[in-house]
Amino acid sequence: MNRLAFLALVLVLVGCSEKSGPPVVASNIVVTAPAPGMSMAAAYLDITNNSGTAIRITRVTSPDYESVEMHETTIEDGVARMRPVPALDIADGETVTFERGGMHLMLMRPAENPDIVTLGFYSGELLLLSVSAEFTSMTN
Amino acid sequence: MRPQNFIVAFLLGAAIAAGLTVALRLGGEQAVPIRATVLPAGNALPDFTLLDHDGTTVDGTIFEGRWDLVFFGFTNCPDVCPTTLQVLAQARKQMAEQGQDPLPRIVLVSVDPERDTPEILGKYVSLFGDDNLGITGDLEEIGKLTEALGIYFAKAPAENGNYSVDHSTVVLVINPGGRFQALFSAPHQVEDIVHDLPLIMALQ
Repeated sequence: MNRLAFLALVLVLVGCSEKSGPPVVASNIVVTAPAPGMSMAAAYLDITNNSGTAIRITRVTSPDYESVEMHETTIEDGVARMRPVPALDIADGETVTFERGGMHLMLMRPAENPDIVTLGFYSGELLLLSVSAEFTSMTN
Repeated sequence: MRPQNFIVAFLLGAAIAAGLTVALRLGGEQAVPIRATVLPAGNALPDFTLLDHDGTTVDGTIFEGRWDLVFFGFTNCPDVCPTTLQVLAQARKQMAEQGQDPLPRIVLVSVDPERDTPEILGKYVSLFGDDNLGITGDLEEIGKLTEALGIYFAKAPAENGNYSVDHSTVVLVINPGGRFQALFSAPHQVEDIVHDLPLIMALQ
C-alpha cells in the first residue's frame, strides 16, 4: 500500500492509559480519489490500539462525506463480496489493517469536492481517533 | 564389489546424472505458464449484443484481431476492481518495457449496467491507460456472456438503499480469434501476468 499524503494525525484519548504514547494510533493512511464523475472514495489505514483496554469502533464519520462505512471484501471460491462491518473490535496492543482486498472504508456522497478528508472513529459517542489525509490517485 | 561391477555402476550413475542434468536444462528452457490455466483449443464465445464505452453496439467480433485481458466488475466497486485493473495496467506497462509485441488490451465488462453507462465506463477505464475498452449494456445480454464463461455475479442490496455487486475475480484471456484461451485466478500479481501472458500468446 502506498504511504502517501499523510497530513495530520490527531489522537483523542479513550480514557486513561498507563502506557506512554498515544492510546490509539493511525498510520499508513491512503484515501483513494474517486473516479472522474463518481463520488465514492475508499480509505485504508492501520489502527493500533495502545489504550490499555479493548476498544470497539462502532461508526466512522467525516465532515466531508455524508456517509462513511466500514466494509470488508472477501474473496471466496473466486468470488469477491463486499459487506458492511457494523462494529470493529481491537484488542489492547493489536493493530487492525484496512487494506485493498480486505477491510476498507467506503466514503459516499461528498459534501462538496474536498481536497482533504477528515475521518473520525467513534465508539458510540466517544471519539477514539481523528485523522486527515489528502487524496491519492486510484491508480497509484 | 568387483572392480568391473564398480565401473559399470559408476558409468550407470554418471549416465543417469547427465540425463537428469539435460532434462533439467531442457525444462528450464521450455518455460510454461505458472499461474494461468490454459485452454489449448480455446472456447468459443456465445452470441451477444452489448455496447462499448462509446455507446456503439458490439458483438463477439469486438474481441477479434487482438489479445484481450477481460475482467468483469463495476465502477462503483471501491476495492477489488480498481486494484485488479491497476495490476493489469502495470503488467501491460512492464511487458511494453520488455518489448512485448503485440500488447494486450484491457477490457472491463460491467456487471452493473444499471449504473455503468457507456460514458461512465469510458471515463473509468481510461483511468487505467489508453486503449482500454469498457463494455456494458442489457443485463440479459451480459448474462449470456457471463454464463457461457462461468462468471458469477449477483446484486447485493445494502441497508441504505445502495447496493454492491458480488462478482467473479478471474481475468480471462481472449485470443485474436475471439476465443477464450486462458484465465488467471485471483489473487492477481503483475509478475504472474508478465511471465505467463507472452507464453500463452506464443502458443497461437
